[in-house]
Amino acid sequence: MWLTSKIKQVLMVARPGVVTLKYPFEPRPAPEGFRGAPHWDHTKCIGCGGCSNHCPARTIMVRDLCQEIRVLLYDGSRCTYCGRCADVCPEKAIAMTDRFEQATDDRADVTETLELFMLTCQRCGRCYDMETKNAIDKLGLTGYRYDSLEARTVIRRATDTFRPAELERTERYERPDSTGD
Amino acid sequence: MSVVAVFVNVLLFLLLAPLFEGVMRKITARVQSRQGPPVVQPYFDLLKLLGKDRVDSARNWAFRLAPPAAFASILAVAALVPLGSKVNALGARVDAITLVYLLTLGGVSVLLGALASRNTFAAIGASREMVTMVMVEPVLAMTLLVGAARGHSLGLGAAVFGASAAGYGLSTAVMLAAYAVALQAFVAKQPFDIPEAEIEVLEGPFIEYSGPDYALFRWYMMMKQMVYAWLFAAGFLPFLRTGSYVGDLLTQLLGTLLVFVAIALVGSTNPRLRIDQAVKIYAGLIAVALVAVGLAVAGL
Amino acid sequence: MLAKLAKKCFPRSLWVYHCNSGACNGCDIEILNILTPYYDVERFGIKLVGSPRHADVMLLSGAVTRPTLPLVKKAWAAMPAPKLVFGIGSCATGGGCWFDTYNVTGGGATAVPVNYYIPGCPPRPEAIVYGVALALGLVDKKAAPVELKQVEFPIDMYERNKAWEERNVIYEVLNT
Repeated sequence: MWLTSKIKQVLMVARPGVVTLKYPFEPRPAPEGFRGAPHWDHTKCIGCGGCSNHCPARTIMVRDLCQEIRVLLYDGSRCTYCGRCADVCPEKAIAMTDRFEQATDDRADVTETLELFMLTCQRCGRCYDMETKNAIDKLGLTGYRYDSLEARTVIRRATDTFRPAELERTERYERPDSTGD
Repeated sequence: MSVVAVFVNVLLFLLLAPLFEGVMRKITARVQSRQGPPVVQPYFDLLKLLGKDRVDSARNWAFRLAPPAAFASILAVAALVPLGSKVNALGARVDAITLVYLLTLGGVSVLLGALASRNTFAAIGASREMVTMVMVEPVLAMTLLVGAARGHSLGLGAAVFGASAAGYGLSTAVMLAAYAVALQAFVAKQPFDIPEAEIEVLEGPFIEYSGPDYALFRWYMMMKQMVYAWLFAAGFLPFLRTGSYVGDLLTQLLGTLLVFVAIALVGSTNPRLRIDQAVKIYAGLIAVALVAVGLAVAGL
Repeated sequence: MLAKLAKKCFPRSLWVYHCNSGACNGCDIEILNILTPYYDVERFGIKLVGSPRHADVMLLSGAVTRPTLPLVKKAWAAMPAPKLVFGIGSCATGGGCWFDTYNVTGGGATAVPVNYYIPGCPPRPEAIVYGVALALGLVDKKAAPVELKQVEFPIDMYERNKAWEERNVIYEVLNT
């Protein structure tokens, strides 16, 4: 009984044969709705920075270079392919493509850079200043921040309400004696 | 002529052992419905290991001595065995006890290397290897004893071929059954591959070895498998006897290949047994082998 | 001569050691997937070994957390040369979404020198097989940086801004 079941097992595995996919030598497309690397359509992007605010890995950096140029840098090395940027984009400029073959030996290979031309205000003639006036950014953060394109990350600066003397007093705090103070 | 046979022995064992291991890996892969590595893969493995750095991690003489000792012992066994039904120049001067001694010496070298590694996993692997060796080597010795009892001499030719030379007796049939089950333990494949190179459960005795040392140990294991499989093919399959040296050589190598195919099929369809379950089976095997020896001495 | 032969056989028989430095196990499951019959990576000669001393390649998954940083360095040092490191997943490539949190040192490159990165969260088994094939030289690299511009400006504004930020100098453009 044991022997016949083993022989039956050996004969059973002959039926499916070899199921290995010949993958790197034959293409294998991603399934429907697969979230691969995001891709920006530079003709549709308005430079609102919504994708940058919503990225959980802070992968998308937005920086004003001067009055009329805004640079948007997507650094794919930390991207988790969640799709929030594509979800929140008001112009539907971001598409989650089905590119998953992103392997590389240099992390700079998976970046996308956009240079956007920003229009000026009709009344004052200046562009909307993202870094200091954006109300959304001031919510929930302890200070102003800006995205550094060189360091590929967000830099936090201290607020203007920060007072060093207060901080020192809290650090040198001592418990009162048990005899009451 | 018989001196040339010594060199032919050593060369054939050295060069063909990785091929048989590759056949086993390919069959295991096909049973698992996948493509598997090419059949010559173990050659690439050995060559790559020979080119790696040698990290002397335990820094004592036993650690450095173990791989060459194991390799030397199995080379000595390869030089002695009567491949091609012909006892060669070295084989005429030794007897079956030397063969058992040299095979055990290889196992003891592995134990020495494992215990010298100063690694807990290696110590556990070594203790299981010790238990397996103690319980399973008697079956090998008793196989040679059956041959010696029927061939009336302890020489290598009688011990190996005596079991089937004077016709198939009851003792030979009983011994065949015991050796066939013990063969899985000798070549360290499922269901009995607990101590050696069981990377999945614990790291085994070779955990601290790297580079050329590990290559020597792997080659030692491959050649050991080939010796035991050849012993089965040569000792228990008398219809492979053609009479000429070259013809016997070819048929014995073919028989070894078929034995390896059977080992691979059994190995890939069985789970691994725990050491305590395996010990019970080994005890049963020793009892059966004793019965076979008794029958052989009684003349059956 | 033996050394040349050994070097030629190195890409045909890579032995892999899997090191999880604080991953969520998503990438570990995908690494397990490539050893299954469907994506079988053993046909390239790759075998999973349990000890770094037997391995040629370390598959690093996970953003390297602070407790695992010295352990990853120890495992890498235990591997004999020549060795490679593949960083699997977004966490090993750059720290994932936790790159600046309190317990994460920021990805595989802070602990060991990483040779190949395979981004993804988790990367598809095909993506890992593609990365392995790229390392073996069987396929070409497909990822490349993309630069898109809405309007072509005549002045190099990016360089000028960078110079002001980094060196506090005013970048002058000579009008020729």
